[in-house]
Amino acid sequence: MSAPLLDVQAVDAGYGHVGVLRGVSLQVEKGAIVALVGANGAGKSTLLKTISGVLRPTAGRIVFDGAEISGLAPHRIVDAGLMHVAEGRRLFRSQSVRDNLELGLYGGRLDAAAEARRYEFVYELFPMLRERPDHRAGVLSGGQQQMLAIAQALMREPRLLMLDEPSLGLAPVIVDQVIGAIERLRAEGVTILLVEQMVDRALDIADRAYVFQNGVVIGHGAPADIRGGDLIRRAYLGAAG
Amino acid sequence: MDPDLIVNGVVAGSLYALVAMGFNILYRPTNVFNFAQGDLVMLGAMICASAMALWSLPWFVGAALALAAVGLLGLIEERIAVAPVLRRSASGHAWVITTLSFSMIIANLVGRIWGPDPIAVRPPPPLTTETFELFGANVSSYQIALVAATIALAAGVESFYRTRAGKAVMAVAEDREAALLRGIAPESLSRWSFLFGGAIAALAGVLAAPLLYASIGLGPSLLLKGFATAAVGGIGSNRGALIAGYVIGLVEALAAVVLSPGYQMAATFAVMLIVLLIRPHGLFGHPEARSV
Repeated sequence: MSAPLLDVQAVDAGYGHVGVLRGVSLQVEKGAIVALVGANGAGKSTLLKTISGVLRPTAGRIVFDGAEISGLAPHRIVDAGLMHVAEGRRLFRSQSVRDNLELGLYGGRLDAAAEARRYEFVYELFPMLRERPDHRAGVLSGGQQQMLAIAQALMREPRLLMLDEPSLGLAPVIVDQVIGAIERLRAEGVTILLVEQMVDRALDIADRAYVFQNGVVIGHGAPADIRGGDLIRRAYLGAAG
Repeated sequence: MDPDLIVNGVVAGSLYALVAMGFNILYRPTNVFNFAQGDLVMLGAMICASAMALWSLPWFVGAALALAAVGLLGLIEERIAVAPVLRRSASGHAWVITTLSFSMIIANLVGRIWGPDPIAVRPPPPLTTETFELFGANVSSYQIALVAATIALAAGVESFYRTRAGKAVMAVAEDREAALLRGIAPESLSRWSFLFGGAIAALAGVLAAPLLYASIGLGPSLLLKGFATAAVGGIGSNRGALIAGYVIGLVEALAAVVLSPGYQMAATFAVMLIVLLIRPHGLFGHPEARSV
């Protein structure tokens, strides 16, 4: 088996003196969808923030495509090809749809033709965006904002896309569209690390999954094995393991 | 209305708009309101005046020196008084004290070095402060050039915000962490903004000097007027700063004639209060752009 694209090795991290993650190890293979599941407060978002450089790990290493990225500034990690779509969609609400997409290109080294192809790529993925280039992001619906946030993160052709709760607060039919887009991205060769509250939906599309509880990975494996065991029940109901 | 009044109001308003633009440029990527801005303006005027008076350098050289030196000082301010406190807490307000301290230090040093006497500054030839009659008003070629330069600068700064780098500055203003995740480095944008905001402050001082003299008194008065202008126009909006500058300049000129020159300051801040009561984010401010 080849080396994983993302290799998180025994990472501790948290906020100030409050430790959240303890000895988290996790691998994401190239071209896969890997899901992180677990109850609120288990540390899933903290892990994504630590990988993208917003938080610094207090112990352990994070290796992306063979190079250590732990401790780098967030924009260096973006340059390395890793994009993080934060929970709550975090768009630049007062700027237009097109300006938000352009900001996704900031710092990249694509020429004009390559940039035009990226716009075309995200417009194909989310045709809604093509129809509303001048709308301010803040006036879009929740589902449209989520699509714009994912599209923005795709502009620089990331090799690994980290999605934090993309279905949060969306109508079921919109969730279907977002999940469908994630599967299409995998088909295009984008590797995905997915944090998702809707455990069944995440396990449906994931190649592998990790189960978090209280800042620790309590198990991982193929979706079928995760579903079959009692890991999920333990993670969500907190029964003693 | 006396046409001279309009000229005076528009000229003074242009200076206020220049000071406000300096505020805005620094404010956008940092959400920091630089209390040393008035001192940077004053220092720009003093450096240009000294270069011309002491070393007999031409205006353009003096102005360039002032812009470079004050831009650099702005950068130093960012490094020692702003970046460290923002690193500790990007949404904290310790910068109120640190930029105010920086202001006191500059004012004190400048007072020591230059003394209290105002220095007269001649405008660059062929411009003069000699007035001639135009449409019934007395104006000078320098006043016309000053107003035109301010409009050109406002247009230039606004067009910068339509470039990708400019949009990135706006993105940092709106959501610093989201900007980080998109590969935007707020620290480098904030350094550039202090460099340019300092240079614009110096330019305001350099342009004000032929009309108001260069003196240490320039700092506090322009700080307050510039602040009022930025607030009325909507903090962050340079188009707003230009319009608000004219409004405040004209109100001030009118108050001096209708009431008495002693009421200028009161009139300015009455306008500010009224505008902010009706539109809390100023004439051109976006409430959303400041939410996080």
